[in-house]
Amino acid sequence: MRSDAELLAASGREPAAFRELYDRYATRVYGYQLRRSRDPDAAHDLTAETFAQAWLVRKRFRDEASGSIGPWLFGIARNVLLASVRRGRLERASSERLGLELPRAAARPDETWLDGLDEAFDSLPETQQDAIRLRVLEDRDYPDVAELLGTTEQAARVRVHRGLATLRNRLTTREELTR
Amino acid sequence: MTDLTARLDSLGNALEHAVAREIGGREQPPRGLRISRRAALIAAVVTVAIGGAAAFAADRLTSTDVQSSLPAGEAAFIGTDPACTPVEEGVEYHCVLARRPFHEWTSNWTNAKEPTVDATKHVNGGCVGLTADGLEWECYLGQAAVDHGIVGQGFLGQYAPGPGHG
Repeated sequence: MRSDAELLAASGREPAAFRELYDRYATRVYGYQLRRSRDPDAAHDLTAETFAQAWLVRKRFRDEASGSIGPWLFGIARNVLLASVRRGRLERASSERLGLELPRAAARPDETWLDGLDEAFDSLPETQQDAIRLRVLEDRDYPDVAELLGTTEQAARVRVHRGLATLRNRLTTREELTR
Repeated sequence: MTDLTARLDSLGNALEHAVAREIGGREQPPRGLRISRRAALIAAVVTVAIGGAAAFAADRLTSTDVQSSLPAGEAAFIGTDPACTPVEEGVEYHCVLARRPFHEWTSNWTNAKEPTVDATKHVNGGCVGLTADGLEWECYLGQAAVDHGIVGQGFLGQYAPGPGHG
């Protein structure tokens, strides 16, 4: 099976390679955008934009995660979201550039789409951020996470568990404070 | 198949077809046209890109920084040993390369536009080719590069982890 990085490299000449990458990540990218926007149509648009941009900037990918494009792709997803919120409208430049004809969501992005999560995530120790990124965003199993982090499976589990617990506490506290 | 699965599958089809169109329609046009297309692509990408519109500080850059920014922005400049002199400090530099840039598709660099990238891996400006052999470039930092139509407004300050490849 070809790695993500190999598929991305091939996607400049093989549409099917890009489709395979899409199939690997679409649900997770959509899930990410849905959690932030809480709007299925907006999440769909943002997912389209994320992948369109990924294809357009594919030559800028540098393999820094053992062949996985996960961190890079979710970086794009996050940036598409941020750009949308910043401009108060869903970003579509790349999907339009590729001529994607999709029914367009009417949602208007606002700051609530960014509530807390980035802030809370960024405040975690780097080791926990890495562990959560691999386990939750990339959906890797623990032996894989442990290998990529250069630690034991048990330690990887602890990092993910502690990180998620901290996130949960911080976000819950924040919601209670704003009630 | 659930509604969501069907919808994502349909999006996957649309993306795959769009990519196929792009690949199928791709030819190698003359350099000038290729750059224009690239500029359009950049303009499209930039608007999306990353909110990371990292604060840009051209006034802190030196000629040496500008020299380093060329190969960081475009792989064709790697190994060309640019020497830049300020036309207007912090804004415009005239750069002369010791060796011709190499690009498999390019033989004429006149009016070619290439972004430059600073040490923090953010787009800090751009250069326009003055000669066909690619040995002389006029480089602009910050907003000046936007004003000269070399990079898009949104592209300036964007994270660019590696040099472009044409």
